[in-house]
Amino acid sequence: MFRRGSDRAGAVHGPAHTVLAAVLPPAAVPVGVVPVTAGGTTSAMFRPRTVGEAVEMLAAAHDSGAAVALLGGGTDLVPALRSGERAAEVVVALRRVLELRVRGAGADSLTIGAGVTYTDLAGWSLSPGLARAARVVGSVQIRNTGTVGGALGSARPAGDLLTFLTAADAEVLTTSPRGSDRLPLPRFLAEGLAPDALVTAVRLARPGGPQVYLKIGERQAAYPAVVSCAVLVDRVRHRLTCAVGGVGLLPARMEAAERYARDEVDWSTGTVSSAAARRFGDLVVEAATRITPALPAGPRGSAEYRWHAAGVLAGRAFARCLHVTAPPASGPVGDFAAGGQP
Amino acid sequence: MTAVPADGLDAGAEGADRAGGAAGADGGESYRLNVDGFLRTVNGASIGDSLLTVLRDTLGVTAVKDACEQGRCGACSVLLDGRLAASCTVLAADADGTRVVTVAGLGGAGLARAVRAMFLAEGAVQCGFCTPGFVVAVTDLLTRHPDADEEEIREALAGNICRCTGYGRILAAVRAVQAERGALRSGDAHSSGETQRHGETQRHSDGGPDGW
Ligand SMILES: Cc1cc2nc3c(=O)[nH]c(=O)nc-3n(C[C@H](O)[C@H](O)[C@H](O)COP(=O)(O)OP(=O)(O)OC[C@H]3O[C@@H](n4cnc5c(N)ncnc54)[C@H](O)[C@@H]3O)c2cc1C
Ligand code: FES
Ligand code: FES
Repeated sequence: MFRRGSDRAGAVHGPAHTVLAAVLPPAAVPVGVVPVTAGGTTSAMFRPRTVGEAVEMLAAAHDSGAAVALLGGGTDLVPALRSGERAAEVVVALRRVLELRVRGAGADSLTIGAGVTYTDLAGWSLSPGLARAARVVGSVQIRNTGTVGGALGSARPAGDLLTFLTAADAEVLTTSPRGSDRLPLPRFLAEGLAPDALVTAVRLARPGGPQVYLKIGERQAAYPAVVSCAVLVDRVRHRLTCAVGGVGLLPARMEAAERYARDEVDWSTGTVSSAAARRFGDLVVEAATRITPALPAGPRGSAEYRWHAAGVLAGRAFARCLHVTAPPASGPVGDFAAGGQP
Repeated sequence: MTAVPADGLDAGAEGADRAGGAAGADGGESYRLNVDGFLRTVNGASIGDSLLTVLRDTLGVTAVKDACEQGRCGACSVLLDGRLAASCTVLAADADGTRVVTVAGLGGAGLARAVRAMFLAEGAVQCGFCTPGFVVAVTDLLTRHPDADEEEIREALAGNICRCTGYGRILAAVRAVQAERGALRSGDAHSSGETQRHGETQRHSDGGPDGW
């Protein structure tokens, strides 16, 4: 039944014995069958056209005991399969699931399908902040191919979208054979995705004020950021949120700095003092040093460097979201005010 | 391997669907790829093979180059349904039903011809290994943004690495194409790359607040 259903939806499969190896429990594989290993261990690919079909295929492959991977744009998965860093006997490719490529706007929220690419987001006028974050991902090639679902699936420590969505209190929409679910991003990241589920979309509030995303790292087109920071302002609810990526294993919210901002900003004008911008950065550094579990120090920067960079980026993003004044006289000051006027 | 002009066959989604389910005569997986306008049948490739690997090793299409296989160098750049992509980050079997265009399929006239000619005229080719990827990327850029300024050009080509030229000659070639094409569009005073070098862009994430 699995084979029939899958074929109808467009399966590409290997020689009969490797397909069996992929979809049957290991114990059921006939003795003497040697799995094909050239080009990795992948022996079957399924190409559903709907979310329903995708879930059916995921569940059947999972029940058979095969190692399954969802394929979005492939910018993370395909090189990893090639290098042997990842192995998947069955690949469920989402390219043809058109319903995942939809993005839409409700009265207060934006919903972005898992198949939406960075290039699609980069020109989205309904969310200028998100669009700017998407524009600084990788290269044209990566932005044209990489998807929102892949960004959530990879969950990189300083993933651009992940950092932005963390600051945006985003929700993740998933579908599995048990139905659809909607959960806050931190819970999604903590619990992980069930092996028979896929991310269908993310949902976030419509922007309620200035949003700034900044990152620092090596050559952008070739390497994801080392440290990332998003600051989002909600003028209506008098709220400022800040997330920092690249310090912990996942982007983290800077709650003390957020509370400080709530009290410090003049919400009628969006003005803060330049001293407050510096203090905001200092609070982010303090919080960054306490993030657990911390990212293991690697060749791309010591922990101290990351803490410092987090503070600099946060202070800068904060200043760019607001009008910064110098105490006691008012008026734009130096670098902090760059871009601070509308 | 068979090669038939894609135009001569039903290459639409339905055709791709059928091809996707068929097993090859040799028992290996079989699917079709539309490469440079020709429908090619792929037999015997592994399902985990990238589009780059299948193009070069199975179909003998050497117009894509293989360097990093990590999506970082752009040597393997193709247009996938009209969008620039690194073919090493795509699984070939998942490209069934899409249009794959390499440098060889860009055409012998128009913009692609101008790009190739200016790469030669401006000395933008040294060892030439990066050139096919660059020509695809530059053609893609100038199709979308004929008047791209210096910063836009650099940003658009950031996914392509050249170890020989230092990029100066490549940028010169792009501006030469713009100048030539601009001259063709009569009365367009803004076509020279030089006049647009200092053009302001707001593509980066460090723009000022826009919500107050
Ligand atoms: C050269 C290069 C530069 C890069 N630069 C950046 C950068 O600047 N910033 C950045 O953030 N990232 C960067 N990346 C990483 C990568 O491009 C992104 O993380 C991208 O969003 C991955 O999306 P994809 O669709 O290509 O994912 P894929 O490779 O298809 O998948 C990635 C993971 O997500 C899973 N997955 C895919 N779709 C779903 C779904 N719908 N539901 C659940 N799981 C799913 C896959 O199983 C896999 O584990 C870069 C990568 C490369 C190769
Ligand atoms: S070989 Fe594909 S980007 Fe380098
Ligand atoms: S000309 Fe040699 S790599 Fe570019």
